[in-house]
Amino acid sequence: MTTADHTERKNTVDLAMPKPLDEVEQAFVDKWHENAYGCFSSGHKFCREVCPVTQVTRNENHTPTAFHANVVAMEKGHLNIEDVADDYVHCTQCGACELRCPNTLMVGDFYRARTETVKVVRAARAMLVDKGLDREKWKQWNRLTDELKNEPVLGVDDGSQPNGQAYVRNWAEGLDIPIGGETIMFVDCEAAFYRTSLPRAIAQILQKAGYEFGLMNEQWCCGGPAAEMGYVEQSMRFARHNIDDWRASGVKRIIAIEPHDYVHFTEDYPAYFGDEFDFEVIQIVDLVAELIRQGRLKLTVPIDRVVTYHDPCRLNKRKGIHEAPREILRAIPGLTFKDVDRVTQWAYCSGGGGGLPIEKPEITAEISRRRLEKAAELEVDTLVSACVWSERPLSAAGEEAGIEVKDLMEMVAESAGIEIGGRTRA
Amino acid sequence: MTTATVDSHVVDRLRGIVGEDGVLTDKASLFNRARVPAPFPVHRWDEYLPDVVVLPRTAQQVSAVVKLANEYRIPVVPRAGGTGLADGAVPLRGGILVDLKRMDQIHEIDLVNNTVTVGPGINLETLNRSLKQHGVMYPDDPASYAVALVGGRIGTSGLSLLGARYGHPRDLVISFEIVLPTGEIIQVGDGGGRKVRKSSTGYHLKQLFMGHQGTLGIVTEATLELVPRAEAEFAAFFLFDDFDKAYRTFAKIGKSGIATLGGVMLFDPEKVDYLRRDDEAYIVQPKWVKSVCAAALYGTRPEVEAASKMLMELGRSLGGRYIGDEIAPWDWAARHDRYANPLHGRDANGQVLPMSWHCEDAAVPYSEVPAVLRKWHEITARYMEKYELFDDWGCFAYSNGAHKPWGDLLLEIDLGLWEEKLDEEGWQAFVSLKREIAQTVLDHGGSITACHGSTRTGDAELVPIEMGASWEVMKLLKRTLDPNNIMNPGKQCLDEAYQGGV
Repeated sequence: MTTADHTERKNTVDLAMPKPLDEVEQAFVDKWHENAYGCFSSGHKFCREVCPVTQVTRNENHTPTAFHANVVAMEKGHLNIEDVADDYVHCTQCGACELRCPNTLMVGDFYRARTETVKVVRAARAMLVDKGLDREKWKQWNRLTDELKNEPVLGVDDGSQPNGQAYVRNWAEGLDIPIGGETIMFVDCEAAFYRTSLPRAIAQILQKAGYEFGLMNEQWCCGGPAAEMGYVEQSMRFARHNIDDWRASGVKRIIAIEPHDYVHFTEDYPAYFGDEFDFEVIQIVDLVAELIRQGRLKLTVPIDRVVTYHDPCRLNKRKGIHEAPREILRAIPGLTFKDVDRVTQWAYCSGGGGGLPIEKPEITAEISRRRLEKAAELEVDTLVSACVWSERPLSAAGEEAGIEVKDLMEMVAESAGIEIGGRTRA
Repeated sequence: MTTATVDSHVVDRLRGIVGEDGVLTDKASLFNRARVPAPFPVHRWDEYLPDVVVLPRTAQQVSAVVKLANEYRIPVVPRAGGTGLADGAVPLRGGILVDLKRMDQIHEIDLVNNTVTVGPGINLETLNRSLKQHGVMYPDDPASYAVALVGGRIGTSGLSLLGARYGHPRDLVISFEIVLPTGEIIQVGDGGGRKVRKSSTGYHLKQLFMGHQGTLGIVTEATLELVPRAEAEFAAFFLFDDFDKAYRTFAKIGKSGIATLGGVMLFDPEKVDYLRRDDEAYIVQPKWVKSVCAAALYGTRPEVEAASKMLMELGRSLGGRYIGDEIAPWDWAARHDRYANPLHGRDANGQVLPMSWHCEDAAVPYSEVPAVLRKWHEITARYMEKYELFDDWGCFAYSNGAHKPWGDLLLEIDLGLWEEKLDEEGWQAFVSLKREIAQTVLDHGGSITACHGSTRTGDAELVPIEMGASWEVMKLLKRTLDPNNIMNPGKQCLDEAYQGGV
């Protein structure tokens, strides 16, 4: 009788034992062992079909399952971080995999063992930076961010773009917004320099509702993108600058107009600073929904559009914010709103997060193209998002699909009778 | 025997066939395609690596790869989702791993003839999301619904949890295109027509290639059944204070003649104990609950409404207590997600251990189910006592026959295996445990697998015994279709077909 699993064979690909793990790799493996093993031992891969990147590349190396299996393989001495460096670039950190994991869904709370994949990806990327294995375009992006103190969202090739600290408040021209105060609106880099219609819309919405707020004294990038790409030291340095600036101006409350910032302020900043971080952080969609509910903001101008809503990953999948945006859309007169439920949208993404568009723009573009394809099936004329980072790739795909991409706050402003100004692209 | 090596010349030729981005030779690509969710001898991970991975996009590319493999006598292992439970996609002799996930297109939705034609790399749930707007669905519903791909469903001849109502892949796949082990591309169905469900022309080749576990070729396109989306769904769970009443209720429901019956399910006392290990996946039931029988109905509203009344009567007729409206629909809805969880693993002292799930499936005549269950638990207990590696997660049974929820059952025992602590002795103990479980099934007139396939070590050795005299025919077919033993060699003892040399 033959024994089917005895395989007397020599592999023809060079499988020489990798170098022993160094201290950094060993620490990574030790930290993530249990989490990785929870995935490795079940191996269901329910994450695969909701992963926006895997949906496009169809490469098993890019699945969340592989991100965990690699940890086990490193532990067993089969792989080094060099072997999987490019794989960990293939992630938008949208969090869909964590939600769809049966371990998280069925027993995550009970055993306090929710599957963590985003943190594993971030830790792997941080290791690449530590070892000098970071990707060229990320390196450049973060170097320019460090120089400008804002992300080079207008392009990395030519230093002449109106980007950086000298221009960080240009979007607010003519709006007469004070600097400082108890509540500030934190304007992320993409909104401050690229889609300036968004911060203008929000500022005027708040002014119209009589909600007092100011701008930050010296606003640097939040540091979130750096953290997502593995540049932890830079991220912490930027975060330190920002909270010192807030403290110096007596700020108590931060309005995050952008979901990535919101994640960063509510997860990374507390992790960096512990109890020292005692600022209140408000997401703009929650605030505006409340202003509408209270009658402080009246939406009276009908908008004759057929829309569907794109659940931004960081609001829906990462922070569980999915009701307020729908409530706001339903409050806009004249609108025909064709909704797709938030769970179906676990599998949707723009591809705009986690540094993916910097390193793998073709994957981002394809993720957005597919998102617009879903919107087109609903026969809408407008796709509404609530994340400015999603709106650039979605708009590009929207042009092809004949569907306009708007930010939820731009819709609100329009319905409140506000002349927004600014621009939706550079 | 296929033993040739994959050298740089072969890799270059593969690049010529599938393009630069379709050939992967890096270590991470190989390590991530060595295993499936079934327990794995992780201490010997590097013995199961392919030599090279290709990601084709067309049948012509697959055909050219297979022809090249014949030229050099290189093993070929097809892999769709890589979520099978019988190691079909695990390379035993290296070679070329043909990963089919890029063939995930919907080629045609034919709402006149109710068919959809797809590539083998499409996922069932993804497909149904696209079909929803048309009011139809492809009703293949395995526990791995969210992640299973069509190619793997054909390769394993899997089971659908709604099979009693709609049939299983063997019934639902109308026809498919397959690249033979020698590289020719053929279409197989019941007869010749791609959209013909019943024919008397020629041999019924579709079933020959259904469940071939990658040993007879690579499926490159499939034409599938579309059914109207069910207007109504009703699921009921009944609780029992002993197994026998639940077991008899299963038969009463199965034989009731209710045409909308999607499936009938049974949990034994060990399974109920296992489910009590947490309180999220399963609402804790009173201690007197020892067994569960459940059933689900699918159809038009008037049909399901009428049948639901019958189902409630049948479920209660032997003392079953209905679990309640607040639980039943959700428990049924969670059928895909809670099928195993590593964190339910326990050592002898009740300590939580992260264990891998091993699900040993079998098809067993209804009359033999109590005896088989008893023996399975006895075998498992014996191994648990000797090795601190195993855990008994209980058994469940499911209606097995398409459209005939009676007669024989899919019977599964779920075992926890502490894979992390495996050494060779532990692995061999596991293989031996599995073999005893499979042998028990044969002793009781069953089949060692109803849906996963008989390609796992332990089970595979029993294939010739189960097949009896027809094993000779099986070997003849394999040798004829695959003269060089290229396709997934080493599986199911099929190497025996080449004992005189290839």
